Amino acid sequence: MPRTFEKSPAGTRQPLKARTFHRMGTAISLTVPPDAAAGGNGTEDGLAAATAVVERLFSELDQRFSLYRPESEASALARGELSLRDASPVMRERYAEAHEWRLRTEGAFTPERPDAVLDLSGLIKAYAVQESGTSLRALGLQDWCLNAGGDILVSGSPGPGTSVPWDLGIVDPADRGALLAGYPLGGSGGYPVCGRRRHAALATSGSAERGDHIWRQARDAPAFVQVSVAAADIITADVLATAIVAGGMPMLDRATDGWDVAVLAVCSDGALLGTPDFRG
Amino acid sequence: MRARGAVSAALASAGILLAGWQAGTQVAEIRSSAEATSAGTATGGTGTSGAGGSTSGSSGTSGAAGSAGAGSASATTYDGAAVATRFGSVQVQITVKAGVITEVTALQLTDEDRKSVQISNRAAPLLRSEVLAAQSAKVKSISGATVTSNAYLTSLQAAIDAANL
Repeated sequence: MPRTFEKSPAGTRQPLKARTFHRMGTAISLTVPPDAAAGGNGTEDGLAAATAVVERLFSELDQRFSLYRPESEASALARGELSLRDASPVMRERYAEAHEWRLRTEGAFTPERPDAVLDLSGLIKAYAVQESGTSLRALGLQDWCLNAGGDILVSGSPGPGTSVPWDLGIVDPADRGALLAGYPLGGSGGYPVCGRRRHAALATSGSAERGDHIWRQARDAPAFVQVSVAAADIITADVLATAIVAGGMPMLDRATDGWDVAVLAVCSDGALLGTPDFRG
Repeated sequence: MRARGAVSAALASAGILLAGWQAGTQVAEIRSSAEATSAGTATGGTGTSGAGGSTSGSSGTSGAAGSAGAGSASATTYDGAAVATRFGSVQVQITVKAGVITEVTALQLTDEDRKSVQISNRAAPLLRSEVLAAQSAKVKSISGATVTSNAYLTSLQAAIDAANL
């Protein structure tokens, strides 16, 4: 069940509205501006309906791709009862996409665990976020922020009709109750004539916590304990964040050279590396 | 650095376009997209989608400007199809005058601001005091390494969701 909270923040000009549910082992929250005039998505009913759509999408993907569900298609594949050739089209598409990313990241991102079990869970959450975004737009919702366990995709602005960005925070891996940095997403409608387009997605991967889908290539100590990547889409952001944690400095340079991304990496000694967009 | 990247990407794309042109296979596609463009931007349509890349793009559009009423000697612009590359989509516009290509202009280069071809986008050491600050009162959502459902309940994100009424 989505839960709503009743508390109102002090000093906020325009309190947003958020709904949260739990799926894929994490919390997913959808935040929208309260302004009902802006397409009606700020009304309680509109937010509840939108959250229900997102929740159903996550549920469907979880049922198919979860390795924690013995009855899932992914589990059948892992047990060898099902071959990829006989798998569903959506499973094969995601597998193909994962392998595409393995090639593009020169192996830093891989859909296979060391025990050769296919594990698409790293990609599926981002895919679920992307598909949710498509659904929200199809519903006519312009302004929203969707966060699935730290994978964030935004559309529009928290102030409907304005170019105000969604100000996001990045957790400090050394103190998970504190923020390390900020980053603005969205807010500018598409391609402005002057100035740069803001990214729409931000994802963070870490080597310390629940890194069960990250398998480091080298055996030496991790170069980065946490990597955040902002990109135009959530799958690129998520895959590259994962790949940089796994592939270290060479992958970080490949990512910033090859994609339109902003990266903030926290080294194991606490030092920071950041692309110019992360400089305050 | 930026201009060089833009030019090299444009030339690569132009090569693709010209290869198609010579083979005759892409002509229909080019023409149809040119029609679509001129419908949207009126005569001599300038590549407004070129945006950030306009430094190298502006010369091409001046050639197109004369196309409004001039006869066989006038220049006509054609937009190539957008081509997906590793760095993003690339699209060029050619200006043809009396059957000769007189201008190749980049309409679109690896999304909008070509960061992908800028060496300066590499990550460099930053002091914590130099990093883009998070103004906690304004933060709408939080990115961190995946939190489990249990961890979520004690996380900043839960507090923000709660504050967002």
